[in-house]
Amino acid sequence: MIELFSDPSILGLVLIGTILGITVGAVPGLTGTMLIALSLPLTFSMEPAAGLVLLVAMYVGAVSGGLISATLLRMPGTPAAVMTTLDGYPMAISGRPGRALGLGAGASLFGGLISWLALWQLSEPMADWSTKLGPFELFSLVVLALALLAGVGDSTRARGLLAGSLGVLVAMPGMHPATGELRWTLGMTSMNEGFRLIPVLIGMFAIGKILEDITGKGGTVEKVAGNDSAWIPLGTWQKQLANLFRSSGIGTLIGVLPGVGANIGSLAAYMAAKRASSKPEDFGKGSEDGIVASESANNATVGGALIPLIALGVPGSVIGAVLLGALIVHGLQPGPLLFRQNPDAVHAIIGTVLVANLMMYLIMVGCARWIAKLSFVPKKILFPLVASCCIWGAYALNGLWFDVVIMLLFGLLGWRMERAKLPLAAFVIGFVLAPVAEENLCAGLMASGGSYLPLLSRPISLCFLLAALFLLLWKKKGSAKKTY
Amino acid sequence: MSEMMLNAFSSKIRFVIRYALGCWASLLLGLPAMGKFPEKPITVIVPFAAGGGSDVFVRIFQQAIRDNNLSPHPIVVKNLSGAGGTIGSRTAREAEPDGHTILCLHDGIYTAQHYGNADWGPSDFEPLAATGRSGVVIAVSGNSPFNSLGELMEEAVKSPYELVFGTNLGAPNHYSALFLQKGKPGAKFRFTQTGGGAKRLAQLKGGHIDLTGFSIAEYEQFKAAGIKALAVLSEERESSFPNLPTAKEQGVDSVHGIMQFWWAPKGTPPERLAYLENLLRETMATKTVQERLRNLHMDPVFEVGAPLRETISRRSANLRGIVIEKPTPLPPVEWIVVGVVVVCLVLVIKEGRKV
Repeated sequence: MIELFSDPSILGLVLIGTILGITVGAVPGLTGTMLIALSLPLTFSMEPAAGLVLLVAMYVGAVSGGLISATLLRMPGTPAAVMTTLDGYPMAISGRPGRALGLGAGASLFGGLISWLALWQLSEPMADWSTKLGPFELFSLVVLALALLAGVGDSTRARGLLAGSLGVLVAMPGMHPATGELRWTLGMTSMNEGFRLIPVLIGMFAIGKILEDITGKGGTVEKVAGNDSAWIPLGTWQKQLANLFRSSGIGTLIGVLPGVGANIGSLAAYMAAKRASSKPEDFGKGSEDGIVASESANNATVGGALIPLIALGVPGSVIGAVLLGALIVHGLQPGPLLFRQNPDAVHAIIGTVLVANLMMYLIMVGCARWIAKLSFVPKKILFPLVASCCIWGAYALNGLWFDVVIMLLFGLLGWRMERAKLPLAAFVIGFVLAPVAEENLCAGLMASGGSYLPLLSRPISLCFLLAALFLLLWKKKGSAKKTY
Repeated sequence: MSEMMLNAFSSKIRFVIRYALGCWASLLLGLPAMGKFPEKPITVIVPFAAGGGSDVFVRIFQQAIRDNNLSPHPIVVKNLSGAGGTIGSRTAREAEPDGHTILCLHDGIYTAQHYGNADWGPSDFEPLAATGRSGVVIAVSGNSPFNSLGELMEEAVKSPYELVFGTNLGAPNHYSALFLQKGKPGAKFRFTQTGGGAKRLAQLKGGHIDLTGFSIAEYEQFKAAGIKALAVLSEERESSFPNLPTAKEQGVDSVHGIMQFWWAPKGTPPERLAYLENLLRETMATKTVQERLRNLHMDPVFEVGAPLRETISRRSANLRGIVIEKPTPLPPVEWIVVGVVVVCLVLVIKEGRKV
């Protein structure tokens, strides 16, 4: 492994991949999946190891880059960065954009390192563990995650749940995720796939934010100011150590599960940090703990998602599926034998997770001062630029103008929801998780012949459901105390 | 003074831009004037995600065409995934029939129609060629009590709807299972939605499903994970797995395989269809494709014209005898969600009153 990464051309590829990844991660409307799928053909003519290095570096960069736009513009470049907007943006607004970026980058690095360790040492037992979780367990896990939405942001419990359930509702039209039957498509074939994630995400956050700022009463446009250092002293990290380990652990574990990945990872870590924190009331208003939890967890999911890919040949995320294709194209046989037959390829993947995370940190901290200047760009210039990126991104996704229209409509919805104090993050997470929940519930029911009993008779599933129930009820007492 | 310089400079820039635009325009206008097909890159629509089996398959062809200079323009692969491949096939059906947009889609083109996910099928396209066939393997978990397909099918007859078959409902893989069921009168499986090959492997390993079907390539890839193959649904044993008996040998009259087809939109001019057919034939004959297909354990069959049409109509006719049984009644999730939204809305309104 060391030999491979002492080759300057390989290091160059990691650098290019990481920078490109950070860029698409940061630009609302462009995603890592898009970048990796577009770059896949370029790697055909490369050595297999070199190609994998490039693609994995892009993956790491893309998950990290979402931090930038989430913090400075409150527009998450990827769904994984949704939770970061909650605290990163308020902190940036309060004049500390550098610190917010530095905390995020450092936490990302830590999460990346923990998941790299797991990927390197624990991939086989963790992959085996992941197959134990069947449809019922995954459904219960998503229910638990949806219950967590109650506490997202600084809004009340009912508003969090309403926003989350509206997100679930919006995910309903289109093909039934388990049976493939069509529902609520109004007879439009463009609706067969339902609303797609990218138009919804960038519509809600980016277009919604632009509308909000344009219509802001009498020029009270929020502005990120200040140019503080992104270097976080070691003492701060020491205080965050428990949070870092907990969040990275949660991220790695959840990243292993297929289809749930980065979103639940950062949500669960964020809520766990909020419960553990001595100042939970700061969450949603620029809490350092919040940024650290969300960012360390979402980077930790990268290593986690690669575990089943390497150990079983089962992709843990969409990007993992593209990487799987890359292995096949290069004539490598993904699956349980990959380790024995092509150790070089596996080492290239594992090593890149480490090296790309380190480079990501250096790039982000090194450039944070310049990156933070992004927010000094006058909104007159920035907004049209962001809007055109969004439109282009939504269109490029599938070459359908329909997606652009959807994005604009969700922009309007996001703007109105913001006014009604409904947390957008809860909406987007509900939207992302709904199909996962429904597919798993229905698959489980089909397998059990219609019996709901396994939800309660399978221990892991029961634990998740009890935890969800506890969260909802416990929350109630807590807020009852608060009403004076 | 500086303004003058600036003016001179900007006029220079304007000149360069105009020049560049002029070149570009003449290029655009000039190419069609040559009247040769293809005038521009040919787009192949792959109705599945990048990195999936179909995508990899098409990209092998793309690479072979590029490496052997078989086409004056490169081939562009466009992934339009979703809704079981019907998003991509619909786009291809509605594309300009000028030969510059074609579709590569396996048997899913008529299983989606038969299952009711699409109201279009093979007859809405001009078939170009069939390139490659892959066998289907029926597999169980390594610690399954069944050691042969015969035993397993006996059990499926004795206690119908008990064995859980993991499929991708409406996809060719689901039809493999239906053909298997049809091959043994009285045998019934309980079908559940599992998804793509990798997900089926994970669920088989975790004991969440009892059996499933894999393409030969998938089986080769997964076999070391502790799964057991019981049969291959081909006419004869597959050369790559000579020890694996066919279903027929085990008294189950089921034959199924997956073929890759290329389609052009209806109304594409015949001379362009002929060009594309020929392009596919030349590509198929290249060393790259032959070698890669061998790696994927695919039969390098190649059919065009009348034999192709015959194959397609035979394969879609086979489906006619297949009856889809409605799966287990599922909860009306969408209406439950509506209910939850209303409850939350009421809570929010109540809360608003309190404040």
